[in-house]
This record gives sequence, C-alpha cells and structure tokens, in this order.
Amino acid sequence: MQRLVNDPKNYVDEMLAGIYKAAPEAVGHAGDDLRCYVSKQVKKGKVALITGGGSGHLPLFLGYVGPGMLDGCGVGGVFQSPSPDQILAITKEVSQGAGVLYIYGNYGGDIMNFGMAKDMADMEDIEVREVIAGEDVLSSPKGHEDKRRGVAGIFYVYKIAGAAADSMLGIDEVERLARKACANVRTVGMALTPCIIPEKGKANFSIEPGKMEIGMGIHGEPGIKVEDLAKADDIVAEMMKPLLEDLPYVKGDEVSVLINGLGATPREELYIVYRKVAEILEGKGIKVFNNYVGEFATSMDMAGMSISLFKLDKELKHYLCMPFETPFLSQKQLKED
Amino acid sequence: MAFTVKEFRAFMSNCSALMEENKQYLIDLDSALGDGDLGLTMTAGFKEAVDFSAQAAETDVGMLAAKTGMAVSRKVPSTMGTLVASGLMGAGKAAKGKTELNDKELASFVSAFAEGVMHRGKAQRGDRTIIDALVPGAEAFQVAIDGGQSVSEAAKKADEAAAAGRDATKDMKPKFGRAVYYGDQVLGKVDQGAVVGSLIFKALHQTLA
Repeated sequence: MQRLVNDPKNYVDEMLAGIYKAAPEAVGHAGDDLRCYVSKQVKKGKVALITGGGSGHLPLFLGYVGPGMLDGCGVGGVFQSPSPDQILAITKEVSQGAGVLYIYGNYGGDIMNFGMAKDMADMEDIEVREVIAGEDVLSSPKGHEDKRRGVAGIFYVYKIAGAAADSMLGIDEVERLARKACANVRTVGMALTPCIIPEKGKANFSIEPGKMEIGMGIHGEPGIKVEDLAKADDIVAEMMKPLLEDLPYVKGDEVSVLINGLGATPREELYIVYRKVAEILEGKGIKVFNNYVGEFATSMDMAGMSISLFKLDKELKHYLCMPFETPFLSQKQLKED
Repeated sequence: MAFTVKEFRAFMSNCSALMEENKQYLIDLDSALGDGDLGLTMTAGFKEAVDFSAQAAETDVGMLAAKTGMAVSRKVPSTMGTLVASGLMGAGKAAKGKTELNDKELASFVSAFAEGVMHRGKAQRGDRTIIDALVPGAEAFQVAIDGGQSVSEAAKKADEAAAAGRDATKDMKPKFGRAVYYGDQVLGKVDQGAVVGSLIFKALHQTLA
C-alpha cells in the first residue's frame, strides 16, 4: 500500500493540524493537545455530547462534531482509545452546566478510559452520563447484545442525541433518546480486503484474494465466515437476512437505511448495494423513509461495506429530520412526512 | 489515628518501594503467564504516584487520591495500570472533601479502592485476578474496624487476609486476561495481579503500623 505520509508517527497529529487549518471557524482543541477536539459553536446551556475513539475511521468519530450533532471528541492514535485525561479536558471545555453525555462504541479500552474520565468529572462536580453503542449483529448473538461492537450505526445515535440536545432537552431526555436510538439500530458488515496501520506498515490480518469475510469488524475483528467472493446482490441478500431478523424489522415498519463504505470501496458499488437493499425492503413491505449512502465509519484502506437499518417512530423521525452541520457532513431540515 | 494526605503519600511510597523490591518477581511471574510487563508497569506506575502526590498541593485526601489515580493512568495506560488508577479514583470519591479520615472513613476508603478496581475490571472473586487479594483485604480491614480494633491491628489483619487471598489463587482457573490462554498450566502458581493486590495491603500495613 502506497501512502501519503511524512513520518508515520505523526500521522494523527498532522491529520488533526490539517483539519484545524481547513475548518478554523468550526473546530479547535481544548488546551494545547490537538487530540482534544472541540466544536467552536457549542450552544449555551445545552447538554454537552462527547464521543471518542481511535483514529483511522474518518468521518468517525470527530467528523460528527458540529451544530446539531456533538460538541467534542477524544482522538486516539490509529485504532487506539483516547486517554482519560483528554476526555476530561474536553468535558471541562464543552460542559455548559446542563450535564454531559458520553456516546461511544462498545470497545474495552474506550469503556475503561471514558469510565475513568467520568469518575474524575464526578469528583469535579460535572454530571456525566454514558451511552455505549453496540449494534453489529454478527459480533455477538441475540441475547448477548451487550457484547456487540459499535460500528457505523452509531451515526443514528449521534444524530438523535445531537438533535435532542440542540432542542435544549434535559440530560434525562437526551439520554433516553440516545438509548432509544441504540435499541432501534442494527448493522451487518463485510470486508473484501484488510487495512494497513500506517505505523505498522503491514496488515495485521489477511483475506485471501477471491474471498470475503462476512461480519468482520472495523479493526479486522474476525467475522462469522470466510467465503468465496459472490455477486453483489447475493452478498446483500446474505447480509440482509440476519439484519432483518435481529430486531426484527417487519412489514409496515418505516426505516432509515445507511450504506457505509469502509474506505476503499467506490461509491458506485455502494449504490449497487443500495439498489438491492431497497429492493429487498420493498419486497418485505418495509418503507424506506430516507437513506445515507457514503462513508460514515471507515477503516483506513479496507474494502467492504456495512448496511445499517434504523427503525423509526414519530419521535425518532422528528429528531432524525433536524439539520446538522460539521466540517465533514451536513443535512438540511428534512420533511417529517 | 487520622489518615491525611501525609499518610496517603507514605502509603504510595511504601507501595512504590514494595513494587521495586518485587520487580523481578513480577516480571518473571508475568512472563510465564501474561505479557511480561507487569513488573515494569507497576514500578513505573507507583513511582509516578509518589512523584505526583508529593508535588500536588492538595489537602483533600479524596481529591489527592483521585488525581493520583489519573496520573497513574497517564503514566501506565496498561490494563493493570488502569485498574490501580481506578482503585485510587474509587477511594478518592469515597473520601472527597475530607482533609482527614477517621477509622471508619479509612475503612470506606479502603473498600472503595477494591470496589473501584472491581467495577472497572468487571472481575468477581474467584476469577483469579487482583480482586482475589483486594476484596479479602478490604473486608478484613472493615471487620476489624467495625469490631473496634485499632487501624494498625486492622491493617495487619487486612495484610494477612490479602496474602491468603493471593495464595488461594493457586487453585483458581483464569477467566480474564492473557492467562486464559494458558488454561490449566497456571494451576499451582499464584496470580500475578493478586500478588500486586497483596503488596498494596502490605504497604498499607507498613503505613499504619
């Protein structure tokens, strides 16, 4: 893999320096630490929302910081958790006195480090709550949902919580809605090629040419099966089965669909995927309210994609439709019906 | 006797000295059953606890313990470093706002240390971890204080209970960490995390003797 790098050790900090130069009005950092990424447009008095996680997944995680979404993000090294200190510094910077909600994916290092930051914030009388997202259906079976990894579907949790906080709801309501979003989203993913961590320079797992792995995680966590590469429609059909069965999503439901490219899969192919997803949903009598097709949670240069479904009701639809704007993504107010 | 920031600093110094004394033993144990860095992370972690707490201008025991925990986590972001840090933060929360702890408050501080580790690591007693030394130690301390014994007597009982808890891990099968991969090969050997736990109680005993 040929890369555009200087010293790979500076990969994350040079990326951040670039983002700060590109969007100086929108985002900055708390104190001197570039990795304490904060919005410069935090609405006064709102519940503050903070996320964080390893680098290597843009626009996840920091790309969701901005009006209508999140207020801060702890930026770790590639595939490494941010430190408790960094999360605490961000917490102090963006807290508006109305409570702080941490929203992050279900990974051991993040759970420990956000937990420590929360403990320290408690000591300093800042109220912090946590919502841990985990919606990757194939990472742990039904009945053990608490062990599921968080992947692209966390977008919906950010979106709903972000709109709720922007509507000046209190911490209890924002937390409730974030949990409700978690409960209604499911994702299934697949990978075609591994990814290479810049500092390591080689892949730490492999997928043989002509093969694909269904259920692989965004850090190369093993999936449920390795198979011969099939046609796009067959792959989608194979992924939709466990996805639909899990919640389940049934006839008459209304959903938002998110097709996420892992980094090296062209958008063209994501639309080939979306075409089949929409067709399957139509066949099942499930109505697609809206869709997001693009890159939402990548894994460096990994090829592959994930499909997320978000089951809507009137309340979730209301917050989903609200606008947001970040240096990476934006949405205008959508029509609620 | 009252437990103030002075006693807390002495406690950290005693922990640091004991980790230093047992550095090679921890390295050897952890190389056989883990990834080998425990002796290094524990000496580095407690040295940081000593250095940090010595220079921190804090009179609130709880705040000092919690901030020392953060300093340890910064210095050694390994699993055991984070667990020790979580213990200090748990203890710190229990003592927040107090410049000196009476005997009962000290017992709560000690229990909260064990609970802080347990809460973060999600391990239970019998899982062959540091918990198997910390929880019996904290319980023995609490029971002795509740029974009206002196803190030095309570610390002695706690030290003995933590050591017994450590030795009991010889017969336990691992459920956490890399030791899981070694399965039955670990039987007959003490858990290295429990050794760390027993050293912490030995240091508390030295501090309060």
